[in-house]
Amino acid sequence: MPPSSPDHPAHSAKPNYLKWLLGQSSRQGLWSLPLIIALAIALGLSVTTQQFTSTGNLFNLITQAMPLIITAIGQMFVIVIGGLDLSVGSVISLSTAILALGGPAYILIPAVFLLAALIGAVNGIVVTRLNVHPIIATLSMQYIVLGVTRILRPVSGGTVPDIVITSVSGTLLGIPLPVFWGIAVLLLSWKLLHGARFGLHLFAIGGGIASGMEKVAHNFGVAERRNILLAYVTCSCFAALAGVFLAGRIVSGDPNVGLLFELDAITAVAIGGTQLSGGVGSLHGTVIGALVMALLANGMNLTNMSPFIQTTIKGAILLLVVGLQSRKKMGL
Amino acid sequence: MILADRTWQRLRRIPPSYLVFAALLLTLWVLRPHMMNPNILGIFIRQIVPLGILVLGQLLVMRVRSIDLSGGGVILLINYYISSGLFPGASMMTFIAMAIATGLIIGTFNGIMIAKRRVSAVIVTLAVSIVLVGFVQYLSSGKPPGDVPAMFAALYNTKLLGVPTPVLLWIALTLLMSLFLARTVFGRAVASVGENLTAAHFSGVAVERTVIVAHILAGLMAALAALVQTASIAVGSVRVGLDLPILAVAATILGGVVFGRGEGGVWGPFFGVLSFALLFILMTTLGVDEPGKLIIQGFIILLAAIFYGVRSAKP
Repeated sequence: MPPSSPDHPAHSAKPNYLKWLLGQSSRQGLWSLPLIIALAIALGLSVTTQQFTSTGNLFNLITQAMPLIITAIGQMFVIVIGGLDLSVGSVISLSTAILALGGPAYILIPAVFLLAALIGAVNGIVVTRLNVHPIIATLSMQYIVLGVTRILRPVSGGTVPDIVITSVSGTLLGIPLPVFWGIAVLLLSWKLLHGARFGLHLFAIGGGIASGMEKVAHNFGVAERRNILLAYVTCSCFAALAGVFLAGRIVSGDPNVGLLFELDAITAVAIGGTQLSGGVGSLHGTVIGALVMALLANGMNLTNMSPFIQTTIKGAILLLVVGLQSRKKMGL
Repeated sequence: MILADRTWQRLRRIPPSYLVFAALLLTLWVLRPHMMNPNILGIFIRQIVPLGILVLGQLLVMRVRSIDLSGGGVILLINYYISSGLFPGASMMTFIAMAIATGLIIGTFNGIMIAKRRVSAVIVTLAVSIVLVGFVQYLSSGKPPGDVPAMFAALYNTKLLGVPTPVLLWIALTLLMSLFLARTVFGRAVASVGENLTAAHFSGVAVERTVIVAHILAGLMAALAALVQTASIAVGSVRVGLDLPILAVAATILGGVVFGRGEGGVWGPFFGVLSFALLFILMTTLGVDEPGKLIIQGFIILLAAIFYGVRSAKP
C-alpha cells in the first residue's frame, strides 16, 4: 500500500461520485452547490411571501447586493493568486468619505480611483517585493486607511456629487440604473478574467502556489510580481467602485460603512467555490456567493425573522460549502 | 569578517517586538517619566492580558502553518454564558469548567476540519466565529445580557506580591507554553511541521495529530482569554472581543512568529503584546486621537513585518 503523505491523502484515491457530481475537480471550484442553495432560498421565498417576486423587490435585491457583488469580484482576483485583501472595507469607507468632501465630480471620482489604485499598488509591492504575508500587509493597510478616513470624516455626513446619486437611484428606459451597474461590472470583470491574458496568468500563478511550486508560473514566462501587483490594484479599484455605489445610495460619506465588509466579501467568494489556496475559482461562483448572502438578508426582511439568525445561517452555509470541498494540502 | 557575520546573524534573529518594545519604553521614559510607575503600568498591562493569552494559542497554530480567527466567537459565547443568567446559581468553578469545555470542543472542531478535511483554516475559523456570534446575538436579541457574578471581578482585582493576578496568570501560561514547546516531543513536532509538512510526515511525525492538538490548545487559550476578558469588563456584551483574533495575529507577527516559522519563540509574541500595551499607554498620555492610533498601529505592524520579511527573504 502506498504511504499516504499529507499532500496526497489516502481517501482521495476512492472515487467519490458526490464530489464528481458537484464539479470538485474543475478549476472553477464548487459552484453548483451554492447555485442550488441560492435557487432554494429564492424558491422558498417566492412560495412563502408574495412580495419577493414583485419587480420592486427584485430591483431592490439587486441594489442591496451590488456593493457586495462588486467587492467580492475584486476580492476574487486576489484570492485566485493565493492572496487575501483585508483592506477593502477601509477602501470603501475612504471612497465615500472622499466623494463627500465637496467639489466637482470630475475631480472627486478620478481621485477616488487613483487613491484606491495607489493603496492596491502599495499592498502589491509590500507582498511581492518586501516578502510580507498578504494577511499582514493588507491588515496594516486596513488600519492606516481607516485612520485616514476617520480624519477626513469623523462621523457620517457631507453630500456626494449629484451625478453619483443619480447613477444609483435613477432609471433608464424604466429599468433602475443598478441593473446597468451590474452588467457593466460583469462585462469588465469577465474581460479581465477571461478576455485578457491577465486572468489566465492569475490562474497560472495561483495554481503554482497551490501546488507548492511557487516559481512555476515565473519559469513559464509569466511576470509573477507584476501580475500579483495588478491583482491587488484591481481588487482595490473594485472596492472603490463599490464605495462609489454605496455613497450614491446613502447620499453621504460614512467612515463606518465599509466596516467588516472585507469579511463579507471573503465569505461570498468562499461560498462561491473559490479556494483560498489559489488557482481555483470563478466569476459566476463569486456572483452566486454574493447573491446567496443578499438573498438571506432580503428573505429575513420579508419574513420578519430575527436578523441575528441570518448571521448563523450565513456561517453554517459557509461551513457546509467549504467542508464539502476538501483539498489536497493542509493550510491557510 | 566571520565574527561580524555571526553578530549580524544573531542580530537578525531578534524578533521585531523586542526592538519595538525597547523603543516605546524609551520614548515613554523620555516624554512621560511619571508614567514609569509599576502600579500604573500594571493596570494598563492587566487590560491586555486577554490578548496576551489568546496570542499563546495563535502562535501555536501559526507555527504549524494554520490560523485561528474563531477566538472572537469563543469569547463572546463564554461571556454570554456567564453574564446572561441562563444558569442561575452556577458556581464559578462550573462556569470555568463550561468555558474550558467550550474552548476544547471548538478547538477540536477547527483542528479536525483543518487537518482531516483540509479545509482552508481562514475560512473554517472565520465561519465558526460567524456562527457563534450570530448564535449569541440571536439568543440575546442584540441586547447586552446582564452582569457577571461578582466573584469574577473580585478575583480579577486581586494582587499577588504586588503584581495583578491576571498578569501573573498570563506570565505563568507563557512560561508553561515555552517549556512545553522547548522540552516535549510535541514541541519538536510543531517545529518540524512548520518547517516542512511533507518532510515531517516522512520523518514519522504525526502531522494531522500535531495540527489538531495545536488547534485544541488554541481553543483552550481562547476560553481562558474569555474568562479573563469577562472578569475585566464585569458585564455582558454582544460585541466584546471581536477584534481580538486579528490583533493576536498582528502581535504574533510582531513577535517574530510567521506562518511556519517560530524564531521569536514564545517570548517574542509576549513582548509583541506588551508593545501594544505600551503603544496604547503612550498614545493615550500623548493625547493621540483614535484615527492617529489606527494609523500608528498600522505602520508599526507593517514596518515590523517588512523588517522581518526582508531579512527572511530567500535568495
